[in-house]
Amino acid sequence: MHYPENTRQVEAIIQNARKIKTPLVARSSRGPHLHGASENPIAETVDFSCMNRIIKIDRRSRYVRVEPGVTFGELIPLLKDAGMRLNMPLLPRAGKSVVASALEREAVLIPKYQYDYTDPLLTVEAVFGTGDVFRTGSAAGPGSPEETRADMVLPWGPGCVDYLRFFTGAQGTMGFVTWATLKTEVLPSLSKLYFVQAASAEKLTCLANTLLRRRIPDECVILSRVSFAAAFAEDAAEEDKLLSTLAPWVMLCRICGFERYPEERLSIYEGYLKEVCAEAGLEAVPEVSALPGLADKVETKITDCDRRKTYWKLRRGGVREIDMLCPPSRAPRLITLLENLSCPGAVGITVQPQVLGRAFRIECSVFFSGDPTETEQVEKALEDVSRQLFEAGAYFDRPYGKLSKIAFESDPVSTEAIRKLKRIFDPDGILNPGKLCF
Amino acid sequence: MALSCDAYRELAAIVGERYISSKQHILAGNRVKTPEIPFEYHSPDAILLPGSTEEVAAIVKVCNKYGISFIPFVSGVLPDAYANREGTVLIHLKRMNRILEINEEDRYAVIEPGVRHVQLYPEVRKRGLSYTAASVGPGGSVLANFTSTSGDHHTQYGTSRANRYLLSVEMVTPEGEILRTGSLPSGCGWFCPDGPGPGLRSIVRGYFGSHGQLGIITKAAIGLEACKGPAEYRTEGISPHHRVIFDSDLSRVYVFNYDNIQKVCDAMLALGEAEVCSTVQKYFYLPLTLLMTDSANDFWKKWTGGYKEAMSMPLVVHIAAQSLREREYEEKILFDVVRETGGVRLPEELENWWSEHMDFFMVVSRLQSVLRLGGGWMPLKLGADSVQHVCDVGQSIGEYIYEFTETGKIFDAPENYQIIPMEYGHFAHIELLFMWDRTNPAAMKGVGEFRARSRQEDLRRHFHAEDLGCLNPTMEELGPLYSNCHIWMRKIKESFDPNDVANPML
Repeated sequence: MHYPENTRQVEAIIQNARKIKTPLVARSSRGPHLHGASENPIAETVDFSCMNRIIKIDRRSRYVRVEPGVTFGELIPLLKDAGMRLNMPLLPRAGKSVVASALEREAVLIPKYQYDYTDPLLTVEAVFGTGDVFRTGSAAGPGSPEETRADMVLPWGPGCVDYLRFFTGAQGTMGFVTWATLKTEVLPSLSKLYFVQAASAEKLTCLANTLLRRRIPDECVILSRVSFAAAFAEDAAEEDKLLSTLAPWVMLCRICGFERYPEERLSIYEGYLKEVCAEAGLEAVPEVSALPGLADKVETKITDCDRRKTYWKLRRGGVREIDMLCPPSRAPRLITLLENLSCPGAVGITVQPQVLGRAFRIECSVFFSGDPTETEQVEKALEDVSRQLFEAGAYFDRPYGKLSKIAFESDPVSTEAIRKLKRIFDPDGILNPGKLCF
Repeated sequence: MALSCDAYRELAAIVGERYISSKQHILAGNRVKTPEIPFEYHSPDAILLPGSTEEVAAIVKVCNKYGISFIPFVSGVLPDAYANREGTVLIHLKRMNRILEINEEDRYAVIEPGVRHVQLYPEVRKRGLSYTAASVGPGGSVLANFTSTSGDHHTQYGTSRANRYLLSVEMVTPEGEILRTGSLPSGCGWFCPDGPGPGLRSIVRGYFGSHGQLGIITKAAIGLEACKGPAEYRTEGISPHHRVIFDSDLSRVYVFNYDNIQKVCDAMLALGEAEVCSTVQKYFYLPLTLLMTDSANDFWKKWTGGYKEAMSMPLVVHIAAQSLREREYEEKILFDVVRETGGVRLPEELENWWSEHMDFFMVVSRLQSVLRLGGGWMPLKLGADSVQHVCDVGQSIGEYIYEFTETGKIFDAPENYQIIPMEYGHFAHIELLFMWDRTNPAAMKGVGEFRARSRQEDLRRHFHAEDLGCLNPTMEELGPLYSNCHIWMRKIKESFDPNDVANPML
């Protein structure tokens, strides 16, 4: 295990690893590690937990610059104090690295702020597998980060290459990121959460498509009732209550007002929401009767990370997941395949509109006991359904484990081109070998 | 160097004799057209007009076989699109001009390189959709704007820069292989540019495109947005004296003048935080006056008759709301912000020009009139970062431009730069446009001097005022200041273009 404290030490670790031909794997988050990207039995681990500085919080230009060891649990309250918020995933665990989440292109809750799949990640400093330090976008220069007068927020370049994209979805195979700049948004002055329930997911995916075309909601996510109950119940009794009361699908939709005339904005956008829902034959309501005070609790949770002792996905003991992207029109077909999944435990599905609503990230989580026999059955069921999903048009853009084979086997030309790039930035293949197509 | 007979024959066999030419008058007509740019430009050895991706790939393979350099060409706006050495062919993509798909539900369009804004924009607009049409005029190639040129446009405050909307592409590598990026090769359609894993979107374009150095993009998908403002509009008159009007209570344009760029910055950031208005930008006052006038004489009369002072730092705002109530809400915030930041509303006569020329907020159809003075013009800086940073860059121009304006080397318009925020003020782009008299030898010399001085001043201040382009002498010179990106770019190019035939510039 290596515990670097600064970029220089990361450079030295990688340079030495090249010399002695030792593979390395980066780890930034505290456990549990659900996807295995930061675990590699043949590699030494570079643990970034000691690189946990919040380098800058800039309210005026709305960004934050942090090292990879900074977690959601630490950053969210500090940003709130500064009047800002992150566009973040649904209930990440408190110990999850903010940088790792963005690098993995995890789904974000506010699609209207996501213009590109790499958002909210703006720029990074990284050390390539060659041992060279590099900074992306407007962080590249001119000069060092200490010299530049730029805010280092522009993601593209330098030059005609989008270097930031070498690191996103790469599972640490191209380089190790030593700090990242992330876009932040203004904290609403006023907000109201609405629930829209439906018997079918399709009703809600169509609704989300319409709402996001008009940029109506801030947070917008669709959950099967199993996922809803797992995320927001505090115990098994609450979970049972939610499962027996809720419709099969629930959309959370948050409307916000900002510093200037917040009541007016809220009122206008509430009107839009209700109008669109009515046109779809649905109803947006501010409360569901399943549990008292549920709306407040849900709103608090979706604007924070999961600070409970047991991470919500692990309350039953074990979880196995697959996630995929698709355009809105294809979502209902993929969701139906997942709804028919047969395996031990409970199958939860989360549908998160992304990139201004032009794509949906569908996450399927199987919550089960964690028993080894069940684990095998769940993994087999997910493997089987993955092939069906792929054939039905699911795009596995950030594949873990066996999914990599499906994701890369369909096009040898592009796979070979990615390998060409890997040979440039990690010529000795020491960074997380065996992952993706490397 | 003329092409060898064998090479010519093989190339002609791919496209057919009708779509290849090596006639001298044709070749000479396709040399770079801006003589003030201090590079040596050559006629190409041949021009080819392929009709498909497969033909482009076959051409590229022949070029590799015979060591012929090739350059993709479509709009021909940039000097990089022309031959810069002997032994070069131009691959003109204008025949590949099909709109392959407009997907209304999933909000994307798939296009070939020859599709022009005038072709695509009306098609998507009548479906209630829009895209980030770069401010290049209706004849510009849509694909080139998304994949190669800067792609900045007037409405990116409420949306973003074109490259943010670039999805999957099909391209021909410098060795002639057909490569598909993002979700496309997985058979999942065009909707996603990234992955699997890190994916190949990284080499499709960065800040700018590679201008063919890393391949020729033959099809691209671009993301569409719901159009801001009415889908239908009224036109009157005959070009160039036409008017484009939105007959809608939901659309309003306001223009305010400022005397200080930092106040403009405050206004942009405040409006962005409130997420109001569809377009917010500080526009250049010199092209603006040219757009507003009908002749050079008319220009001079108005420029010296008060337009210069009245619009020295104009903040142009377009509100495109979904309801009357929303429009009024946005107006209330706008007027509060303008009052707090010291903006002064333009006289009605000047402000009304905008409401009658709403094409400015779609596809700028009168852009050529900015060339009316007949002199030289050149954009500088073209970089981007935070709104605050680019406003600081803009403010610094006043500290050195006077040495050039007062000596008559360039047109006396020190505030002639535009700043366009993106994504409600998360970033902004700056472009300094300067003009000069082509008939004045001192001015011609001053062009190079001013370019060099602008860069030198930005580097001295450590401003990220410009980004680098493709692998060229400028990147070699400045790369060491930009994370040694020249070294990495060279490695990438060598890896994908081992014969160095894809638009070499070194």
